[in-house]
Amino acid sequence: MIAPPLPIAEEVPFQAARPGAGAAHVFRQLLRRPNGLVGLAILAVFTVLAIAPELFVGPLETAVTATGPRLGPPSAEFPFGTDEVGRSVLNLTVHATRISMVIGLLATIITVGVGAVLGILSGYVGGRFDSTMMRIADFFLVMPTFVLAIILTAIIRDVLGTGSKEILGMRLSLLVIVVVIGLTSWSSTARIIRSQVLSLRERAFVDRARVVGASAGYIMRRHLLPNVMNLIVANAVLTFAGAVLTETTLSFVGLGDPFQPSWGQLLDAARSVGAPGLGKWWYFVPAGTAVVLVVFAFTLLGNALDEILNPRRRGRS
Amino acid sequence: MRYRFGVRLGRFIALAALVAAGLFPAGAQAGTGQPLILTVGTDQDLETLNPWQSITVADYEIFQIQYELLMGYDINLETAPGFAESFEASTDKMTYTFHIRPDMKWSDGEPATCDDALYTYQFALDALANEDYGYVGSGYLEPSLTNAGLESVECTDPLTFVAKTSHPTTILPQAYVPILPKHIWEKYDLEEISNAEADGFFKNEPPVVGSGPYVVTAWSPGDSITFSRNDNYWGTPGVPDQIVFQKFEGADTMVQALRNGELDYARGTGADQFDALSTEPNIRVSEGFSNGFTYLSFNTRATQKGYGGSTSALEDQKFRDALGYALDRQTLVDRVLNGHGVPGTTHIPPYQVKWHVEPKTPRTFSIDEANSRLDAAGYTRGADGIRVDKEGKPIELRLTWPDSEDHATDAQFIQGWFEDIGVGVDAFVTEEGKLLEDLLGPETDGGPADWDFYMWGWVGDPDPTSLLSIFQTSQIESGTNDCFYSDPRYDELFTTQLEATDEAARKAAIDEMQQLFYDAACYHVLYYDSVLDAQRTDKFTNWTNQPPDTGTPIFGYGYVGYMQLQDASAVPTAGPTTAATTAPGTSAAPGGSAVPVSPGNTRSDSTPLLIGAVLVILALAAGFYFMRRRGPKVEEE
Amino acid sequence: MGIRFLTRRLGGAVLTIVMIVLLNFVLFRMMPGSPERILLGRVPGVPPAVVEATKIRWGLDKPLFPDQFVAYLAATAKGDLGFSYGERGRPVADVLLQKLGPTLLLFGLGELIAIVIGLALGAYSGWRRGGIVDHVGNAVSLVLYATPYFLLGMGLLLLFATGLGWFPTFGMTELGVTHASFIDLLIDIGRHLFLPLATVSLGLVGQYAILMRSSVIETMTEDYITTANAKGLTDGRILRAHALPNALLPTVSLVAINLGYVVAGAITVEVVFNWPGLGTLTVEALEARDYPVLQGVFLLLSITIVVANLIADLVYGMLDPRVRT
Repeated sequence: MIAPPLPIAEEVPFQAARPGAGAAHVFRQLLRRPNGLVGLAILAVFTVLAIAPELFVGPLETAVTATGPRLGPPSAEFPFGTDEVGRSVLNLTVHATRISMVIGLLATIITVGVGAVLGILSGYVGGRFDSTMMRIADFFLVMPTFVLAIILTAIIRDVLGTGSKEILGMRLSLLVIVVVIGLTSWSSTARIIRSQVLSLRERAFVDRARVVGASAGYIMRRHLLPNVMNLIVANAVLTFAGAVLTETTLSFVGLGDPFQPSWGQLLDAARSVGAPGLGKWWYFVPAGTAVVLVVFAFTLLGNALDEILNPRRRGRS
Repeated sequence: MRYRFGVRLGRFIALAALVAAGLFPAGAQAGTGQPLILTVGTDQDLETLNPWQSITVADYEIFQIQYELLMGYDINLETAPGFAESFEASTDKMTYTFHIRPDMKWSDGEPATCDDALYTYQFALDALANEDYGYVGSGYLEPSLTNAGLESVECTDPLTFVAKTSHPTTILPQAYVPILPKHIWEKYDLEEISNAEADGFFKNEPPVVGSGPYVVTAWSPGDSITFSRNDNYWGTPGVPDQIVFQKFEGADTMVQALRNGELDYARGTGADQFDALSTEPNIRVSEGFSNGFTYLSFNTRATQKGYGGSTSALEDQKFRDALGYALDRQTLVDRVLNGHGVPGTTHIPPYQVKWHVEPKTPRTFSIDEANSRLDAAGYTRGADGIRVDKEGKPIELRLTWPDSEDHATDAQFIQGWFEDIGVGVDAFVTEEGKLLEDLLGPETDGGPADWDFYMWGWVGDPDPTSLLSIFQTSQIESGTNDCFYSDPRYDELFTTQLEATDEAARKAAIDEMQQLFYDAACYHVLYYDSVLDAQRTDKFTNWTNQPPDTGTPIFGYGYVGYMQLQDASAVPTAGPTTAATTAPGTSAAPGGSAVPVSPGNTRSDSTPLLIGAVLVILALAAGFYFMRRRGPKVEEE
Repeated sequence: MGIRFLTRRLGGAVLTIVMIVLLNFVLFRMMPGSPERILLGRVPGVPPAVVEATKIRWGLDKPLFPDQFVAYLAATAKGDLGFSYGERGRPVADVLLQKLGPTLLLFGLGELIAIVIGLALGAYSGWRRGGIVDHVGNAVSLVLYATPYFLLGMGLLLLFATGLGWFPTFGMTELGVTHASFIDLLIDIGRHLFLPLATVSLGLVGQYAILMRSSVIETMTEDYITTANAKGLTDGRILRAHALPNALLPTVSLVAINLGYVVAGAITVEVVFNWPGLGTLTVEALEARDYPVLQGVFLLLSITIVVANLIADLVYGMLDPRVRT
């Protein structure tokens, strides 16, 4: 990953779920916090754009359907100006929202899914399995993931095949980015979850369950998972921010797909026609702002969640 | 505590300011006696100093400044004196005699004689005869010798070089083979010179010994190359004391460096950058017509055994011909190249004025025409509007291009037009190395020719032979003839034009070859795209294009462009300045090397944007700050 | 520090490096396109005989395992990473070495500045939680964290180089200029370094400030701080004697772990400023499909990060007795 998700300090155990601390409660708490509120508001806007970009700007413009001038400045018809083939930058940026957000979402699901499962397993089973898993996690943690991503992209493209085959409405070439992000960032999640599980394992309720003969799978599913859920959610939010940044950077060095532009792809396109040097700011400012806003919002949200769920972060202000 | 922190912070800021202030005024060039340096930016990699390894235009430029060809090129691309002063051909055009310039010296003071020419040509001949190294590194240099039918070379005396060919030829004097100093190169064998993958490889590191006007004196591999004037050069010395090539990753930084006065020449700007630069003071632009073309190539043996095309329609000339009518080449030139190019027809570009010919019945863009031709050829539309091939399979073609090229926009257009004629297109990019392998047919390395049609480009020599040679039947095996074009008449004409001693006869053969290949619709040449370069005129003047109407000042053939340059400060009113924009304010800077003052308008367009960006960040921060203050106090339960 | 702790950490590091070397072998063999084609570069129309000769020369005609694998291990152990074909005939090790210096300069200094400023800002914000510095600092930190490095770099480049003309736009030194003295050279490098360095520092400072801030806030809730308060110690003394040292530890280890991410930033910042370092090299190698160089970069960076983490671990172990197990 390019940007590490801002870490949640490992050695501070999150408070275990307690009665009343359900999702609704957390949500209410979030709304009462300025950082949570702002984060949610920004994300709500972008989520709506991602779900139905066509509603706002019509279908994604292509070179063929473009009607604008070449690199035209913002006007009434094209509020964000046009790109080098005359497509509306507003249209492109809004459609890129879906691509960037879906890549971020899928990458987060993989990262957190793999991280949580391995983290819980590792923490609960312990022993040699644990030490092996953590060794592997260490390995992924120190790897210069970006360079790995570059190499992996070439390989995965070869394995999956090229062409415009689509999965979940995304071209295969974009899924490559998802896989690469997932593969290279699950380890920090796994480590955080594991250390939480390690402390939970010693709690009385786990012992009780073991004594009454609950299977390991049952204990992990019914006792451990709910208790690390808060942590998983907080981690997922921050991972999402990191994934969006990573996608942006990977696309910027040319690993995106021009047929389904993401924000990073737009920034790359803008730079390759020389928009920054030409003062054609409307080509890259919208996409750049979108990236900053979304990452900013996710980080705010993550911090807010952290404050709500982690009693020691409330401090003495 | 608050106070002490403040003090420390204050100290730190003061220190930082001090450091920064120390750095600001450093007009590093202010000193007198600095050499006059020509700085050249290129978007291409500077890959090698060993001429036998050259692939890119930048690689070629590196060696042609340092080494003479037997006969060189002048500003009009006519044959000019090079290593030899003159040459004459026998009446049967099978023996060429070159007269080497007397008293010529290499840059290290050793005499330069026929021995050096003999060594170089013999090396190339030996390499050609050796199966393992037959392509000497990259195989771009000796085809001129093969095509000329060179058989033997000898020195009849220290200043007379005689070359004999197996058939009549006119292209031998134009052979693009740099004459290397024997006393340096003979120490290395074929393996050491051609195998870049082994320990003993001869990299030809500086100081390089050459006979050209400049030789490489410093090399930062992959980054920059410094040339210094060769005092032993036979001709009039060039004005720049040094030439520096700098590689840029992306044209944006390069163009900004040019506008900032840090570069004198930018090679390979984007179309929009070029247009913006063309209106700026102290900057001259040159649009070089491409000696090459961008094309669509078809897998014309698609469903034959060992080939992996998706439909038999690709094998049908009528089908491919019809597709040619659905390509709006003018739109591609306008929209993709921003007008900097020419719609394509035949495979000899108009740059080669003498040889290019327009096809007799050009395929002009018309969706209707394409549709009716497809109907007539028996490709009917299925229920979903997609045409089916003779086997009843819907025609869905895969269109690809190498990831080293940016053809996504072209592909979108082609996709759109082909949709209108009922041909599906699945467009995607392929990793270059993989594409090179995918293209190969069973004749080469086993196949599988797993592709339908793809986009790429070819670049030619001043002589059309190299571009013509690609589509010989014999080139299918080497993998060069990637659309598997095979026509005995074309092969026969190729030999005819090679051996023709009469220009009109040669022209007739080449005309027919272009028509044949065009009719076969094996390739659809999309456009001849221009090379867009820009130069500063406040340090050097008298930039001269080669050739004057359609070329660029440097990165052409030979080094003649560099020799035209004048020092802008030494001769403020230099004679025949060809600068497109001779700004009245071009003041002669003292010392000749002061940093050029950037004109104000290069800044104006970006500054408001930045102020905006800073404001946005400030607003965000402020908004956040106030929100936090007004927000409900964090509860403390 | 116990021997056991030392050997465990060392052993872990060695194991990680071995895994990286193995991965490197596997990845290279999985690359699209056959290795001999990759070795021959992108030259079309190479005669089959030449392809065959290349295969034999590189032992690619022998089985992948054990022959090719053993040859690979032996070569890697000797530091022989093959040859770059982008820069034809140069050993990959030479290519890497040449680009290492500029990258170390840029990112070493950038890290240093970011750590000093970031930690100071974070510590102060955490200490004076809710104050002006905290609010503004936190907001700016978050925005900086959310901005991709290359955007930041492009902005600075436009404003200070192309716009105001204060700094050069690219490279590490003035092209072709021979410097009269070492001082001149330093000044030249300094002018070129300023903007990329500012980009790197700004890109990192946000993260470090946020980390340090939360670390300090957490420390402030510890019992011993409360005790110290009760004892009537001054705020400054508590911060310096108790809170800071304890808050520093986790932050420092995170800085080491972050190195891997910093590398990614390096790539784009160097490209924006055409800085002649490993980042620009990586993108060039990517575009030229120079896989031997990409592999070399991967290996070099991995080992650097492993070693940096090892050092951080050892330092941490020396400072904090609790982890010496």
